[in-house]
Amino acid sequence: MTSYSLMRVSRLSLDSFAQRAGIHPELVRRLVALGLLEPTRDGSGRLWFAAPQLQVVARIQRLRAGLSVNYAALGLVMDLLDRVEALEAALRATGNRLPSNTVRSPSSMARCEE
Amino acid sequence: MARDYYDALGVSRTVGSVELQQAYRKLARQYHPDVNRDPGAEERFKEISEAYSVLSDPDTRRRYDRFGPDFRQIPEGYEANVDAAGGGGRSSRGGSPFGGGRVWVDSDSGQGPGPGGIDFDDLFSGLFGSRGAGGPIPGADQEAELELSVEEAYRGGSRRITLSGAGEPASFEVTIPPGVTDGQRIRLAGRGGQGSGDAAAGDLYLVVRLAPHPRYRVNGRDISVDLPLAPWEAALGASVPVITPGGEAKVRVPAGSSTGRRLRLRGEGLPNPRGTPGDLYAELKIMVPRELTPRQRELFEELGRDSTFDPRRGR
Repeated sequence: MTSYSLMRVSRLSLDSFAQRAGIHPELVRRLVALGLLEPTRDGSGRLWFAAPQLQVVARIQRLRAGLSVNYAALGLVMDLLDRVEALEAALRATGNRLPSNTVRSPSSMARCEE
Repeated sequence: MARDYYDALGVSRTVGSVELQQAYRKLARQYHPDVNRDPGAEERFKEISEAYSVLSDPDTRRRYDRFGPDFRQIPEGYEANVDAAGGGGRSSRGGSPFGGGRVWVDSDSGQGPGPGGIDFDDLFSGLFGSRGAGGPIPGADQEAELELSVEEAYRGGSRRITLSGAGEPASFEVTIPPGVTDGQRIRLAGRGGQGSGDAAAGDLYLVVRLAPHPRYRVNGRDISVDLPLAPWEAALGASVPVITPGGEAKVRVPAGSSTGRRLRLRGEGLPNPRGTPGDLYAELKIMVPRELTPRQRELFEELGRDSTFDPRRGR
């Protein structure tokens, strides 16, 4: 009889991470070597990935596919995007509006219907 | 729906390949869903990518110029025949009827190995599978502004929201937590950018923007409101009603209150689902009647003669 654990998986092994991300495990290793993914290492040196790292892979794939950003530049691009986001969040917290020419300023409006 | 490819890239029909690429690169940087969180950006990005993939290939560009948006429906051979009939010695290239050349697969070739001697992109090519050609990639998160009145932010509740700007207007039910503040984000899971293939969609974040209110000034969760008073109410003290987002409240104005005094109504500001609610400040503002009856004028004059109060000296 098989029993199933109901525990939520909070960390993923290299192989299951690669499978969930839809990429080759070797590529996952390369992304780690480039400092683009940040897994933890257990005592035996095995890599473990937190689930949100899957979103990092998706972002890498989108930037690769959409803008041809090369691997060396990806880290820089993502760091800068993160910094922009942090600055925008800080600006929002002070109740300031972003300058209208800010690229990431949301211009779409959601409206409540009566 | 399908815009003209030249219009989509903002270029003329006679544009050269360098200028075409320049226009495309610029727009791609601007509308990439990881750079631009606007829900409309993804559609726009797809549009310019599609336009460039067609126009950057001389073969498909020629076919597009000739047959317009339906060029894919025209068989290759048809064009060849037209060409032959026209006697213009162009030959239609063999190969894929759809021009193959996907723009986004551009590798960073030509740069050669970096100083470290390793060209990662060479190492990796292929590991992503057929990159760009439909390997499922989860969608990006998006952001849109949601303007709420102070009353709506106070009450919260379930609202129907229409999102314009992203192609087809989307409409969905959103639960607004009571006491959302300016700049707070409401997450709608799976309502963001679409994933390719069967990959998951991103999330949509609604950034709350409180609309300017004729009476309420909001600072975080605290709300200030003017409280107009007659001179005798301010001098003698009074209990006066003040309208708050939660309804009418009574404020006890202490005798001898001047304009600018702030009376705090604890907890009457915006509610806080995770802590103490904000406060409401009634800011006293003494008003005088524009016109006086002879009797009232007499009374004020008498008060003036009797009083030694000089508001401009000391305090």
